[in-house]
Amino acid sequence: MRLPTLAATTLLTVMAGTAAEAHAFLDHAEPRVGSTVPTAPRELILSYTQNLEPAFSTVEVHDANGARVDLGKPTINAGVMRVGLKPLPPGTYKVHWQVLSVDTHTTEGSFSFHVGK
Amino acid sequence: MSRHMLRSLALANFIALAFTSHALAHCFVGARFLPATLATDDPCVADEMSTPTVAWSKTADVPPATQWDISVDFSKRITENFGVSVGQTWTQIRQADGTLTTGFQNFGTTFQYQVLKDRSHELAVLTGVVVDWGRTGSTASGLADKFSRVTPTVYFGKGFGDLPDSFSWIRAFAVTGQVGYQIPTTSFDFTQNVFIPQQLVYGASLQYSMPYLKSEVIDLQLPEFFNHLIPIVEASFTTPVANNFGNPFTTTGTINPGVIWVGSYFQVGLEAVIPINRESGSGVGVIGQLHLYLDDMFPTTVGQPLFGGTSTPPRKLTF
Repeated sequence: MRLPTLAATTLLTVMAGTAAEAHAFLDHAEPRVGSTVPTAPRELILSYTQNLEPAFSTVEVHDANGARVDLGKPTINAGVMRVGLKPLPPGTYKVHWQVLSVDTHTTEGSFSFHVGK
Repeated sequence: MSRHMLRSLALANFIALAFTSHALAHCFVGARFLPATLATDDPCVADEMSTPTVAWSKTADVPPATQWDISVDFSKRITENFGVSVGQTWTQIRQADGTLTTGFQNFGTTFQYQVLKDRSHELAVLTGVVVDWGRTGSTASGLADKFSRVTPTVYFGKGFGDLPDSFSWIRAFAVTGQVGYQIPTTSFDFTQNVFIPQQLVYGASLQYSMPYLKSEVIDLQLPEFFNHLIPIVEASFTTPVANNFGNPFTTTGTINPGVIWVGSYFQVGLEAVIPINRESGSGVGVIGQLHLYLDDMFPTTVGQPLFGGTSTPPRKLTF
């Protein structure tokens, strides 16, 4: 097989039927990563760089004592995951998330935010 | 040239056509992403391609010659934890008197096995064997050896994200490194009448991840471009350690400060190349690289391991 033919075949083969998706990175969060908010948020919003698979994406929020303070199952729409929060007294809260992007790549992360002045 | 290209493309075709199923990542360890480094290797098996890596430098000759290296590397997971990389470098050396030498260096192959990925400690350990195959490059020009070199190598990467939150922005640092012992397949070069030493080949990188800072430590709301940057300093050294009769045991190497911009499907790296001594080169060179994440670009074909992928649905995620 000649080089140009083989190169073209290779390119066509790898491109065929492939929709490019990537790892889902946390683009931004509300409350923001590492931020201090004066009043307790009612929900946590995580926005990702890719669309998520709802069945395999989850988030938990814990207070400084390790007690869970989120309201359970998050709602996911495209690349945005939301979870309700219990009333939060002033303090530091840790967010743990793990998501599956629509092309089956998993990513995970954690960060803190603070409530109070 | 064509033979190597045909070989690489045939391999790519084979990979693309092979049946595979479940994709994972390039070098993610927990929340940490370790980018492909330019002078050393990252500590993960992956589906990725560096095309091209371009380096410009002044050699240690007196007077120094100008050297260009253009490389292409392709890495493919065979199983989830075992991968193979192939690479080829074209080199041009222009002497001060205008004499030009061009050709290919020997064809390189690396076999790697992922020993450890500790997500909670952002620690990755990889073992491998690097083989530069003799007589596969331009031996007539002197750019390639007639013998092979085999280098068993250990690679590691460690992020500092497991430090307490009080360490704040320091948690965005990570280090990677590699140590290899290079063994030539012959001990004496009868052409040049010199011993061919066994060498310690080692290097490391210190990197600061702005993406990690933003998503794990603190979102400073910087312009998006800066949130994709990983400033990095790489170091790469070679020290003769055996079979070096009559020659000095001089360490050669470079220190490479630079930066890597990380996107969703590719990264771009640019580094200065600073020789550590006169034997390592003359003046400051430069190296740049475009690196493609094949597992993200082609998640259902090339971005899958050839074997060992699971056809079962992804597991339910738990903490």
